[in-house]
Amino acid sequence: MAETQKKTIVVTRFDPDRDEAPRQQSYEIPVEPDWKVLDALNYIKDHVDPTLSHRWSCRMAVCGSCGMNVDGSPKLTCKDALSEYGDTVEVTPLANFPVVRDLVVDIEGFMDRFQKVKPFILRAKELSVEAGPTRQSPAELDDFRQFSMCINCMLCYAACPVITNEPDFLGPAAIALGHRYNLDTRDEGQAERNKVFREDGGIFACSYAGECSEVCPKHVDPSGAIQQAKLANVIDWLTGLVLRRGEAR
Amino acid sequence: MSHARPVVDAMKPSKPGETRTAPPRPPDGFPSQGNYRAYVAFGFGGFFLFTVSLLVLRAVWALGNGEAAWNRVQASFQNPIYVIFHALAFLWLSWFILRLFRLFPATQPKRIGPFQRPPDALLVAGLSGAFAVVTLIVAAILWGCA
Amino acid sequence: MRRVLLVLEPVIWVLFSAGMMVGGLLLPAWALVMGVAGPLGIASTATSYDHFYALASNPLGRLVLLAAMALPLWGGAHHLRHLWLDFGGLRSDGLVGTLCYGGALLGSLLAIVAVVRL
Repeated sequence: MAETQKKTIVVTRFDPDRDEAPRQQSYEIPVEPDWKVLDALNYIKDHVDPTLSHRWSCRMAVCGSCGMNVDGSPKLTCKDALSEYGDTVEVTPLANFPVVRDLVVDIEGFMDRFQKVKPFILRAKELSVEAGPTRQSPAELDDFRQFSMCINCMLCYAACPVITNEPDFLGPAAIALGHRYNLDTRDEGQAERNKVFREDGGIFACSYAGECSEVCPKHVDPSGAIQQAKLANVIDWLTGLVLRRGEAR
Repeated sequence: MSHARPVVDAMKPSKPGETRTAPPRPPDGFPSQGNYRAYVAFGFGGFFLFTVSLLVLRAVWALGNGEAAWNRVQASFQNPIYVIFHALAFLWLSWFILRLFRLFPATQPKRIGPFQRPPDALLVAGLSGAFAVVTLIVAAILWGCA
Repeated sequence: MRRVLLVLEPVIWVLFSAGMMVGGLLLPAWALVMGVAGPLGIASTATSYDHFYALASNPLGRLVLLAAMALPLWGGAHHLRHLWLDFGGLRSDGLVGTLCYGGALLGSLLAIVAVVRL
């Protein structure tokens, strides 16, 4: 029978009631060849140290809960194969976020930004039911489809150097989502969203590092969305100077 | 890897949470590792954009002052430091614009009216080719061949 | 100062984008010929006053030179300001931004004068 492989998982621990600052703790555990990083963490919690705290849910890269930094890179731990790492694997909480406990970060900052971009259909005047369904061609859907694939895992925020240094920056996922709605033919809120995009920490704070798109597990390409949003915003700003526009409620 | 200096205030929530949080840490690897390195080098291309255009301004200003002033400026450009600087600028800015062209397709909308965005590879090849052609033409004109 | 820069951001971004394009397309050739080949004596015509004056003083030449001098300044200024921010310079962003874009503005104005007076 083949010997079970072992790996050492080095995990950040932080209990605000006991610890002054985060510290690291190592666990040497047996691992299976087909494990993801999340399996290792769950093994630790189930068999070694039940006090370890980490977020996870779907185990299939659709819920966005299990984002962490693995060997320095933001990853979805349920998607990331453990076999790709060496004998020692370092798991830390997502970069750029305050840490609540162990590997759990405070995501309220993201929720604030999320709400700021009004990620829903805005209409100047609501359509009546009698008007019938709103028609949208496949080409029109395709315009924004890619940007709608975001699972809010926030790996992009963990990769972004602007998030580190400019506390008000809206960030990749929020901007990509706002742009997704700006591109939706059913939406009439472009002027309103573009005003938010021009505020302090808006889209022009992005310096096109592109790391967000590199780490995105859903290939949303938020940095592409942001650059597209910049051009659209300039056009919106210019037309706004000339035309007085009504705004969607 | 995880021993980076923590930053304050990144992703700070609008309402404080109920427990004390540990401060956020900057991304591992910034600025010197992986893709961050290319990004910082790209940003530093701004230094060459700024300085080379100022040196062009210096030359054109001297041109307006007459032949003696022009010759003085040209003589100063023979200083090895200037030559090395310009050689570095040529390499850095060429890399800069080729990288910009590689990133360019994603910055454009997928479709403008009935016109689809051309395939990315085609756009990049076209733009890079245009860079080569323009550089050759401008160089030939400046050299005095054209 | 940061507030003022924020209001001007769309304009700055357009100038910056144009500056990257124009700078990247025109300045490498300039650096190679006027900065390396010419001074090293490999391209002797390039450094000749008569040759360059003939190129620069016609209307198209003035326009191209103006673009090559003014626009890349904005590309450079924007990049440098953002590099400063990337290395933790938020608190002095207003000052640094003003210096960068102020420098670009001054250079652009001088560039206009430089081509007009040829």
